[in-house]
Amino acid sequence: MDDLNQYQPFEVDQHLTAHGNYWAGRAGSRFYRALRDRRRILGSPCRNCRKVFWPPRSICTFCFSELREMVEIGPLGTVETFTLVTYAEPVHPRPAPFIYAVIRLDGADTGMAHFLDEVEYERVHVGMRVRPVFAPQRKGNILDILYFKPL
Amino acid sequence: MTARETEWISIPMTVDVPYRFAAGRYLTKTLTQLRDNGRIFAVECPRCRRIQLPPRIVCAQCHVRNGRWVELPLEGTLVAFTIMFLPLTDPTTGKPHEPPFVYGSVRLDGCDSVLDHLIHAEPDRGKVWVGMRCRVVLRPPGERVGDLSDIVHFEPLPDQSRPGS
Repeated sequence: MDDLNQYQPFEVDQHLTAHGNYWAGRAGSRFYRALRDRRRILGSPCRNCRKVFWPPRSICTFCFSELREMVEIGPLGTVETFTLVTYAEPVHPRPAPFIYAVIRLDGADTGMAHFLDEVEYERVHVGMRVRPVFAPQRKGNILDILYFKPL
Repeated sequence: MTARETEWISIPMTVDVPYRFAAGRYLTKTLTQLRDNGRIFAVECPRCRRIQLPPRIVCAQCHVRNGRWVELPLEGTLVAFTIMFLPLTDPTTGKPHEPPFVYGSVRLDGCDSVLDHLIHAEPDRGKVWVGMRCRVVLRPPGERVGDLSDIVHFEPLPDQSRPGS
């Protein structure tokens, strides 16, 4: 057993990795095409419940109606909640520090989580009015909006 | 009726969670010896005599302490294999290994457990078989880091052919 004491404590580095493809579905595909090709942000209205959902969906979460139409929402919105990320983690899409916010786009009843940028953290408040900054080269994913910034 | 879509959007996504685990006293010896000396060590159960790799402190069947270390040869026998037609994520790097390739379980001579690894053989069911003799190919000394990637692959021994062929 003494034999084992000659070894330095050892740690092994590994990765848990999943390579996948997210299929956006019918409503999601319309949303991403409009974002990429026309810089329009779409939501799904339920006429029955008088709600507009983002992300857009094919079935109302409350009354199960089929949602066939889509309406433009935003592009301006209001900060509903926010946080400052102060530590770096490999799963984060950006190096820290950065601000995550949930933004309720005008005309929508649900919020979109995205980055808030070009603002001091101390100035951010619930109710702050913001607008999106679109990527010049858009690829059909949510980072076609680079971030939101205050008006 | 639903309208025909002009284009379906799909977004490639890779979830990569790096993590680190402490090898513990037994696995530390095996990985350190593999890295520094290119030798493979297993432990033997004093009761059932099973030779176990990775080394376990306690025999899972007899619940007694495994104390005796056994060095294994770098040769063994293929006991099961598959030909992969989908990428396999290498847990040491997080990068996919591109298909087609042979992946199999090799029992090192004298050992009671198997090592799962790449088999450096043509991905052809006529050219790989259960019972094929293989040897471990290690990364050169100095390039080894102390994990399973120190084994590059298993290489079939020369001068053998599939039984019945």
